[in-house]
Amino acid sequence: MRINYFVAGGFVVLIFLVIIFVTTVLPASTFKPTATPAAHKYTPMELAGRNIYRREGCFYCHTQFVRYQDRESGEMVLAGDYMYETPHVLGTERTGPDLSNIGGKYADGWHRAHHDNPRKVKPGSIMPSYSYLTEKEKEQLIAYLQTLGAGRKMTSWVVPPQELQDEYEHVKAFVNVNSSAAANSGKGIFMQNCAQCHGMTGEGNGPVSATMIKKPANFTRPFYTQYSDAMWYYRVKEGVPGTRMPRWGKTLGREQMLYLVAFLKTLPKDTQTVQEEITSLKQLDNPVDLDDNYKYVDQAAERYGASRNEAFK
Amino acid sequence: MQRALSAIFSREPFSASRNFLITAIFWLVFGTSIGLIASMQFTAPDALAGVAQLSFGRLRPVHINAVLIGWLSMGYAACMFYIIPVLVGRKGIWSELLGNITMVAWNVMMVVGIFGLLNGDTEAREYAELAGTVQMGSTSIQILDWIVLVALLLLAVNAWMTVMTGAEKKWYVSIWYFLGALFWFPIIYIIGNRAFVQLEGLNDAITGWFYGHNILGMWFTVGGVGIMYYLLPKFTGNPLYSHTLSMIGFWTIGMFYAPTGTHHILQSPVPEWLKSVAVISSVFLLVPVLTVLTNFFMTMKGKWHTATEHIPLRFAIAGGIAYLLTCIQGPFQATRSINWYLHFSNWVVGHAHLALLATFSFFVFAATYYMIPKMTGRKMYSKRLAVWHFWLTLYGWIIMMLSLTIAGLVQAAGWHHGIPVDQWVIELEPYWIIRSISGVMIVLGQILFMFNVYKTVFSPEQCEELPHSPTGVVYV
Ligand code: HEC
Ligand code: HEC
Ligand code: HEM
Repeated sequence: MRINYFVAGGFVVLIFLVIIFVTTVLPASTFKPTATPAAHKYTPMELAGRNIYRREGCFYCHTQFVRYQDRESGEMVLAGDYMYETPHVLGTERTGPDLSNIGGKYADGWHRAHHDNPRKVKPGSIMPSYSYLTEKEKEQLIAYLQTLGAGRKMTSWVVPPQELQDEYEHVKAFVNVNSSAAANSGKGIFMQNCAQCHGMTGEGNGPVSATMIKKPANFTRPFYTQYSDAMWYYRVKEGVPGTRMPRWGKTLGREQMLYLVAFLKTLPKDTQTVQEEITSLKQLDNPVDLDDNYKYVDQAAERYGASRNEAFK
Repeated sequence: MQRALSAIFSREPFSASRNFLITAIFWLVFGTSIGLIASMQFTAPDALAGVAQLSFGRLRPVHINAVLIGWLSMGYAACMFYIIPVLVGRKGIWSELLGNITMVAWNVMMVVGIFGLLNGDTEAREYAELAGTVQMGSTSIQILDWIVLVALLLLAVNAWMTVMTGAEKKWYVSIWYFLGALFWFPIIYIIGNRAFVQLEGLNDAITGWFYGHNILGMWFTVGGVGIMYYLLPKFTGNPLYSHTLSMIGFWTIGMFYAPTGTHHILQSPVPEWLKSVAVISSVFLLVPVLTVLTNFFMTMKGKWHTATEHIPLRFAIAGGIAYLLTCIQGPFQATRSINWYLHFSNWVVGHAHLALLATFSFFVFAATYYMIPKMTGRKMYSKRLAVWHFWLTLYGWIIMMLSLTIAGLVQAAGWHHGIPVDQWVIELEPYWIIRSISGVMIVLGQILFMFNVYKTVFSPEQCEELPHSPTGVVYV
């Protein structure tokens, strides 16, 4: 009787050891990806920042793991990206955005203001405030964030969903969105329907914007030079959920939306490239006064040569 | 003081089980309260801003470790230390003193660990955060890992020696499950905490999820099922429906649970064969689950109506049904196309609570309401409170589960429409408010539970004597 138990027990042990071997030892010894350009050894400063990232539990809300369906988070990750990521911070919950490609998206000053109080730069955000970090820790953390995804292009960030891309391919023949005539028609529609929020010049400072927590988009930002026609069409048609931006696909016709696309794409100030925008924003790194909600926005607006209220003068 | 010490380091039969249980219930109330505070930060992010110890990223691991390592694991230890000796016909475990020392070590470890987590001393690996980092020259050692390991080994030795020195030589299924759990868990724990090797990049994630899933599969599941196999026949008076099924369940759990870890990182660039192994074994998990549940529900045959009067049985049935739900959800989520849609969303958090709160915590509630009267020789202080505990916790988790599941579907729908996460997150506020409300209900239920147990154990004069104690033990 006893001997049977030992045979059975030995069998459990054996199976279990085989499973451990197959699921941990075997991958660890055969799965050896080579480092990609996005992988990099951390400097001591960045490593300290990474440790703060782990200590403060940022990875409980943020993933670093872009899948192919995560259109807004940038390029998909590759196995080699994680070469120096030990221990891993892939994350399990996506309460906040994926941070794999956050490096270079914002200036250091933005991150600083965001960490001190996320709601000042992102109304409605539920990210905790990290005002309790010491100055040094804040610097380290930002240094770490700015390395993430380094070397990846920003342009792949903004792609509409496939079904809208297909739809756009189908409808684009109706209006030549590159003609100035179409842009002019679009301007009229914009003044009637959009200017109260987005402002006469599209800077996002129309009178109604004063009532909103989530401010309307400022189309003069160089950021919008990356938008493809299909992307504009998608944003106008579907609106921006969670904000007061309506779904214009419900009220406007197909041609009207195409005219709007033609107009909107003339707005971004393409004198600066995205990279230049970032460099110029980086020069703003003098401390942001948190008591003034708009100071940072104003500083940025100034740099692009327009003041918030110019449109009303 | 003298009395307290002698109750803690006691050699009395069943004292280790009792002490484990009482301290586990403390961690239950603590852990769920922390969960509640954490959940409120989703809707009032500035309420506690500026206090490092109370920021979400620190409370979350505290919540998880308090409920998993504090409440559930210690609750399991208590159940094993009661059930094993009864099954092998011993008065108490092999060494109650050793059991009590393990209990003290475990609690000290928890206090140090939780204090460390609040102050930022963490391993930052999900389900393995407890660290207790000690700097020794240039290397740092996480001593709590080793304390947990030693405590687990002590548990295992004690359980094993109890079985070996017992009068009954034929092992009932529960003993298989318990000894299996106590064999697997220490191994998994030490692999999961990567105490020996530092792996690079994704290999670290693969090993991390090997651990993360197996603490659920090889410890919480195996232990919980073992408890139910003991309790259900006791509650219903029916014999266990089928011993063969239960043994099939045991072996297939061991075979199919262990390789499933990679289903947590199904869309990461890890080797495809590993993902396939994980998906296939996840679907095959339906085999042990269905054998276990067939056995549970067939054992209930003809006795379902007794649940109206029998409070522990109510908990057991509710837990069994939640187990069915969990284990249908699990394989479903593990298939590639479904995982593609649901991963990263709040759906997963709902699933975690379904498994650990609605299933395994309910099993331990059932066991507590059964064991406390057996150990003390008294009826529970109040049946009313126990009923309230049942309904508050049951409705609490149903509401929590629904709100999180819907929130997860809403999240996934938005993301797949290309809406940026930071814009979409605002939409979830209503569901998070509902989760906090359900949290209030659950925490309240647990406080009633703690009060009820406290009164039963410490105020004998206010409780009714049991007519007779079937195991013949009257202690405390
Ligand atoms: C409670 C969950 C939570 C925690 C913890 C958290 N965040 Fe966030 N985070 C969010 C949410 C929600 C957003 C989106 C709204 C916003 O931008 O504030 C966000 C946005 C961000 C962004 C901007 C992303 C983008 O693409 O616009 C960065 C950078 C960031 N967080 C960094 C951090 C760091 C660093 C930590 C740790 C110190 C952290 N977060 C901890 C929830 C969290
Ligand atoms: C009620 C106020 C309101 C009106 C009217 C309105 N918008 Fe918007 N719009 C917003 C808000 C708020 C946002 C969100 C900005 C953000 O995402 O931060 C937005 C965002 C957008 C975006 C997306 C920008 C991005 O970052 O992708 C586009 C494109 C847009 N609006 C175009 C229009 C057009 C065209 C019209 C007129 C047909 C219009 N809007 C009318 C409030 C408005
Ligand atoms: C015994 C009871 C409980 C157990 C065993 C338990 C277990 C868990 C587990 C395992 C997780 C991690 C989920 C994941 O993998 O993503 C978790 C997260 C969480 N739990 Fe609990 N829990 C319990 C009760 C509660 C209660 C009563 C509340 C109060 C509302 C609560 C609130 C939370 C919160 C806010 C999170 C974090 C979710 C996120 O990251 O978005 N839990 N819990």
